Amino acid sequence: MADAFLSDVKVLELGDEKGEFCGKLFAGAGAEVIKIEPPGGAPTRLNAPFYHDQPNPERSLYFWHYNVGKRGATLDIAAPEAKPMLEKLIAATDVLIDSLPLDTLSGLGLDWSALQKLNPRLIYLVITPFGRSGPWRDYKATDLVHLALGGPMMCCGYDPRPDGTYDTPPIAPQMWHAYQIACNQAFIGAVGALIGRETTGQGEMIDLPIHQAIAVSTEVDVPIWIYSKKPVFRQTGRHAVQRISPQAQFQTADGRYAMLLIGITPRESAALIDFLKQKGFGGELTEKFAEPASRRGPEFNAALNRALTQCMGAFGFEQLWKEAMRKRISWAAIRLPEENLADEHWRMRQTFAKVEHPELGETFDYVGAPTLAEQCPWRTGPRAPLVGEHNREIYARLGLSDSQVEELARKRVI
Amino acid sequence: MRPLEGVRILDLTWVLAGGGGPRLLDALGAEAIRIEWRDRLDTLRLAGPFAGPEPDQSKPRGPTDPPANVNRSGIYNDINSGKRAISLNMTRPEGREIFKRLVAIADVVVDSFTSETMRNWGLGYEVLKSIKPDIIYLQQSGWGYKGVYSGFGSYGPVAQAISGLTEQSGLPSPYPPAGWGYSYMDWSGAYYCAIMMLLAVYHKKRTGKGQYIDGSQLEPSIYLTGTAVLDYAVNGRHWQRSGNRAIAKPAAPHGVYRCAGEDRWIAIAITNEEEWRALKTEIGDPAWAAEPRFATMAARVANQDELDRLLGAWTAGQDPFALQERLQKAGVAAGVCQTAEDRVERDPQLRHLNWLIPLPHPEMGTWPVKNIPFHFANAEVDQGGPLGRAAPCYGQDNDYVYGTLLGMSPAQRAELRQGGII
Repeated sequence: MADAFLSDVKVLELGDEKGEFCGKLFAGAGAEVIKIEPPGGAPTRLNAPFYHDQPNPERSLYFWHYNVGKRGATLDIAAPEAKPMLEKLIAATDVLIDSLPLDTLSGLGLDWSALQKLNPRLIYLVITPFGRSGPWRDYKATDLVHLALGGPMMCCGYDPRPDGTYDTPPIAPQMWHAYQIACNQAFIGAVGALIGRETTGQGEMIDLPIHQAIAVSTEVDVPIWIYSKKPVFRQTGRHAVQRISPQAQFQTADGRYAMLLIGITPRESAALIDFLKQKGFGGELTEKFAEPASRRGPEFNAALNRALTQCMGAFGFEQLWKEAMRKRISWAAIRLPEENLADEHWRMRQTFAKVEHPELGETFDYVGAPTLAEQCPWRTGPRAPLVGEHNREIYARLGLSDSQVEELARKRVI
Repeated sequence: MRPLEGVRILDLTWVLAGGGGPRLLDALGAEAIRIEWRDRLDTLRLAGPFAGPEPDQSKPRGPTDPPANVNRSGIYNDINSGKRAISLNMTRPEGREIFKRLVAIADVVVDSFTSETMRNWGLGYEVLKSIKPDIIYLQQSGWGYKGVYSGFGSYGPVAQAISGLTEQSGLPSPYPPAGWGYSYMDWSGAYYCAIMMLLAVYHKKRTGKGQYIDGSQLEPSIYLTGTAVLDYAVNGRHWQRSGNRAIAKPAAPHGVYRCAGEDRWIAIAITNEEEWRALKTEIGDPAWAAEPRFATMAARVANQDELDRLLGAWTAGQDPFALQERLQKAGVAAGVCQTAEDRVERDPQLRHLNWLIPLPHPEMGTWPVKNIPFHFANAEVDQGGPLGRAAPCYGQDNDYVYGTLLGMSPAQRAELRQGGII
């Protein structure tokens, strides 16, 4: 078997969608991730979409995607019999991801000082909506509420009317990005702590408030406010900035869209004008704006916009962008996620992976590696665990016999 | 002590998708040395907003001095806080020889050039490895080196367009995609830049082995498209935008609603009957809320357009923050669509978390910088890094790097400076 980044790391995951993506990253990097679910299965098993639209704890594509590569055991952590089992599991892990409701573990007598006694080398990662203290500590949140409070929504949406007011709402880009943004940073902190442990031999507790993780992940709006005290305007398919910038997204002949990043440098503007001319849409631009110095201001922007609108409208969304890219123009097709599956580039890089579902007798394309690391390949699979799939194996490590495991199952402890 | 103490990074990244990666390792204690040259500066160094008045551009400058405003960009200051910086002309063979001496004392080399640049300079992985056998080399280009698009450039919006993230955001057709109003894949690209470096550093600590990683900005973007690919692979279903409505589980009302003030909105998300009852009570149990078409979650989901209109009519005259506080007290998930001003000037939770950290800069003075959101109980971890400072000035650490680390005499350094090498 090929080497993996974290092949000697063991992770225990407790909680819900807040922390699942972090566990997925650990599994991809080669750690052994044990996901502890309540008896009957985690609530995210009921998240859509579903295999053939059949709502069923074993058929949630959401669960499959966020839990691929993990092992699964069930445990009612609040049951009296569960506590010594949980303590043994914690004693044997390197990283504990806790995205349970606030104070759940400390309520069971497993606060940070108790955890340290169980396992002085433990990296304890706590993912909470707003932090473990502070005025909004007990606020309720969802993906949508996080993307509102954290700042992304006020940057995302559609152009204002000519008078600068909006008739469309701020938009939360979809795909549970609140948790993806937070878990990326949670993972960075946790791997950092693992590295530190190599020197100190000591564990660490890391507090990751999702609200803060999102608030630091927007781009220019915060520096613009800090340095200029100016607001930004959200604009269709391009950056929210202090003024209305030229259109960057255009409809194509097939009713789809393509985008163009305009005017980064004079060289790029010149390359773009040449390209439009070559495609037969350069007339006005090459006549009136032959001098590079003249290529600025509202008149030029309007002429460029006309040429781009016509050119984009004459071709399909996939047709021109590669040719433009070869001329170093930042032009791109606006694809559906699934349209990348057929792309040769990603096939060569094994960006998508096939994952087998033996009980269905089928194999599906999954999003695979976020990068190509040939010495330590990313792991995508095996498929997410069935409810309690690894109970016997995992509880055998705690010294429980098969009959004891069956007894615990009868009592709904597992 | 900081967890990454003793890890030295040669940072050849640009803008944010690259530059934000070493920034995070600095916060964890690494020493990132940013390598720059005046003729091809990071565009962020020259981009506003700037701190303080515009510098005087008319003052005479020496042959290797950068533009006068190079050390005053607020965005550069945020993205490069905690780093060191040297000036080094990598386009000259003498510059590349000095770079090789630095490789010999480094743990990680990271660049975000287009993918052939380092090879064209004779600085591919094989060469770096011959200098330092356990070197970690992360090439964080736009599209990755292997593959048919390896020469293509990328910015955040390009990565978002190709991956599907743009198409996934916005109101249902016939509205066009709204996309992201910022380079989501710049910070997210930076997170994967940091993740890959950290994983490789951990692996090296455990095994003694370095490695080459062919990273990109595009693949993390695909990685974040979530279940859409699987829904197509399993069900043959294509992605369809649905505005701000819930996609993973039934929830209604679920959206943003206009409040008093210009362009002020509050997000409200009702995911169960208990929350719906609490919301109804706050509205004052109006007759419409008791109608059968809103009686169950399924009914509310089916009648969302009308539900949104009625709820929006109730929120419209209200102060967004007072409403947020009131709904949260009642057990309803609600939050204002906050601007940067709201977060910087008012948000009491972010203030409690010290989300901005004041860091000193030699020319700009002390300004707030976004702090890292992972709070360590034991180790000292913050965005000032071991140096406790904001972004470096151009060439600020030449004396430390060329003098202290490489042992060059002041005379040697002066000669290299005169020769346009440093």
